[in-house]
Amino acid sequence: MRVFVEPWDPSYGASFEGGGSGDGPASTSSAQIDTDVEVPAAEWAPIDVSDSVQPPDVVYLVDGVRRIDAGLSTAEDDGTSYAGLAASFAAGVVRCDLGRGVAELVTAKVGRGLFTASPSMEDLLAGPVRYEVHRIEGPGEASKLPVAVQRPLTALEILISSEARAHGPEGYDLLVVDGPLRARRQLPRTIGFIKTQEKLYLPAVLNLVVTRLTAGQRTPVFHLGTAWGGWTWYLRLPGGSSAPWSGIVRVECSPDLSPEMAIELADLSQATLPRFASSAYKDPRAPQNLVPIAGLERRLRGMLGDSRLLHRALTKATVRSR
Amino acid sequence: MADGSYLQLDDVVVTQRHLPDREPVTIAGVVTQVRARHEGAQFDSDVFAIAEGTLPAVVQEAAEITTTRVDPELYVPPAPGAIVHRASGEARDAALHFDRMERRIPMGTGRDGVPVFLNADFLDGTRGAHVSISGISGVATKTSFATFLLYSVFRSGALGADGANARALIFNVKGEDLLFLDHPNTKLDEATRAGYKLLELPATPFSDVRVYAPPRAGDSSGAPDVSSRLTGVDTFYWTLEEFASLRLLPYVFADADDERQQYTMVVHSVTAHLHRYSVPAEGGISIDGKRLGSYGDLVDHIVEQLTDDETRSTWAGSAVNMGTVNAFARRLIGSKRDLARLIRGDLAQRRPHQIKTAESAQVTVVDLHNLPDRAQRFVVGVTLKTEFEEKEKAGTGRPLLFVVLDELNKYAPREGTSPIKEVLLDIAERGRSLGVILIGAQQTASEVERRIVTNSAIRVVGRLDPAEAARPEYGFLPPAMRQRALLARPGTMFVNQPDIPVPLCVEFPFPAWATRKSESGPPPSDTMKSIVQGADPFAVVGSSDDDIPF
Repeated sequence: MRVFVEPWDPSYGASFEGGGSGDGPASTSSAQIDTDVEVPAAEWAPIDVSDSVQPPDVVYLVDGVRRIDAGLSTAEDDGTSYAGLAASFAAGVVRCDLGRGVAELVTAKVGRGLFTASPSMEDLLAGPVRYEVHRIEGPGEASKLPVAVQRPLTALEILISSEARAHGPEGYDLLVVDGPLRARRQLPRTIGFIKTQEKLYLPAVLNLVVTRLTAGQRTPVFHLGTAWGGWTWYLRLPGGSSAPWSGIVRVECSPDLSPEMAIELADLSQATLPRFASSAYKDPRAPQNLVPIAGLERRLRGMLGDSRLLHRALTKATVRSR
Repeated sequence: MADGSYLQLDDVVVTQRHLPDREPVTIAGVVTQVRARHEGAQFDSDVFAIAEGTLPAVVQEAAEITTTRVDPELYVPPAPGAIVHRASGEARDAALHFDRMERRIPMGTGRDGVPVFLNADFLDGTRGAHVSISGISGVATKTSFATFLLYSVFRSGALGADGANARALIFNVKGEDLLFLDHPNTKLDEATRAGYKLLELPATPFSDVRVYAPPRAGDSSGAPDVSSRLTGVDTFYWTLEEFASLRLLPYVFADADDERQQYTMVVHSVTAHLHRYSVPAEGGISIDGKRLGSYGDLVDHIVEQLTDDETRSTWAGSAVNMGTVNAFARRLIGSKRDLARLIRGDLAQRRPHQIKTAESAQVTVVDLHNLPDRAQRFVVGVTLKTEFEEKEKAGTGRPLLFVVLDELNKYAPREGTSPIKEVLLDIAERGRSLGVILIGAQQTASEVERRIVTNSAIRVVGRLDPAEAARPEYGFLPPAMRQRALLARPGTMFVNQPDIPVPLCVEFPFPAWATRKSESGPPPSDTMKSIVQGADPFAVVGSSDDDIPF
């Protein structure tokens, strides 16, 4: 079998994000919802931050970045050909100790993978870097490959999230995961932070409550009945424009928790997250892209290494293997 | 820099480069720039987010190193990521080339508190000579550094017998600062003593100093014109006979603009006439049958002779027009007030009154601070000329003579010529072989004759004026050091010597000798004798502990 690195493509080296900035939800979801969890649906109103809530001193924030290093194609011995993707990804945890005023990178891990459906592909050694093969089921079209990178990245995020927590003895902390919780729902005291709203989950009447939120206010907790659903609520971060959905984030927590615990987490998130909101002139994704997350992503991208160097190394490695 | 380590400016560091086929190369250097920043901050305002604990960032320090030595001389770069150590002991000496100096003169400590040396080869004329010190007056401590350097030459023993026999001629231009070189400093504390000990120097005043001061104006006894120092001061003056026979008249016209005037030829013919026709007469001179007893008389006589149509041509030559003669006469008359106290016909001829370092003490201080500008130029010009001619006559480079002269830009300006500038240029260009070492100080090296600055092997800079620091004369300072020179504290100098590629930042200790009356301790015993007599006929030159012999 022979491997070829595709010629340079502007998209290589660029990291990619899920979704755009989005002005508001574009489609309506048909998911089952239960809006009577915290207050009856008829009494829904914006909830102000409660004075009795003590925000945690220590907040962990988890995020990951991905980057395509090169597109590959294989020439199998039987004459068939498969597309492949060499990608680098990294996940890290920032520990924001608001009491001491220190934000530090607790752990960060870099992984590199070769995503392909080719049955004969083996690990590729490009210079000092090893690209591990992640075999894709099915025909493995090139367009499906970038999505496949998410799975090992999520695994990496779960791994380092529990690692980061293992160091600290403090019981009163909060872990914020960038994006939906999905497979990370078993982590304790953890909330998922969804920056962009693609779907409308609430009925139109209740959506009015969402758009009526002022900075720092949240909606009551409701239950989402989708496969990855759970307890969830909307929150408006400060610093957005006056557009109805600007600065609105959806926060979710594990469905395994009791409603009381979910409400407690909602209060905690309301007391904690607005502090981290970014300002528009520093971050085009403000205010939803939280300051520690943005800093973490910059650091992680730095750790991915130089994309041109890796592309060269991959090219050399594949040429040698022929 | 790794966590927990730091470097400061001027630290000496060393690293090794391992090569496949030969011994490792040691690369040493000096820190010339340091910086610290938040890695991870994009905007300046991110520091608030970092301090608050919301933005992850790392404080990263970095230092810029200027290479001073590659040993063996295989010019390979240090490998990125190689471990760098702060150099101490032999490694530091090697990095700063001290190990190659056969004779090293301590000149202070580096920022790391360890002694820093000057290569004596570049001071005593072996491979170079002359020192040029620049800096703002008042804060740059130029004179203090010059005297400390002299002290180190005399006392460190680095020059061997040359150091002990060397003489110094110091012109005291401002205040009475340098008149107490042989008085202990009462403000000397333990820390300063320890500083001297570290440099292996005794913390004592200069041992053998002679101070010359001009006679008091209008005083016929010729008592020295000093107010604070009362003992051990001798008067210097020139007799009219010396003025005529040594052809000193040109030094009266030592302004740079004097030389551009037409009357220079009158100056020279009058000088020649005086030399040829004057006859000594009891202190004064007699010329054309007339006895002249003072400088005023001499000036009046010359002017009278020049304005008289009959005698003019014998004094000034025939082709001189009246305008030129008048210009000369005007200036000559103008010099009466300034020079009358220095050129005398009324004081004893035999009394020692001339400044001669060979017959004086180890350190000769000539006090000029009470003299007007024209008189200062006259004294400096005549003294340097006399000394240099003595050296030329002797024809040997030993003993060494160090000449310390402040405000060099006044005596050897970049533009124009003058008799003094000629002498100084002579010293700068030929002094090295004759053992005359010029330690010149000036506020602005850019205004000093270029040939004098370029002939100085050792260049020293104290605090500089920002506009001055940008001039090419300071090209030897790396940009970062140039910036630092704007902030240099008193007692901190940047010294550039030919065999070290980076100027060294030096802190020299507080003087162990008094620099003003208020801090002076008891005078040394042998200065007491001058209360009795201006010059001790029994004194052995260079002896220090002899008491009053009667």
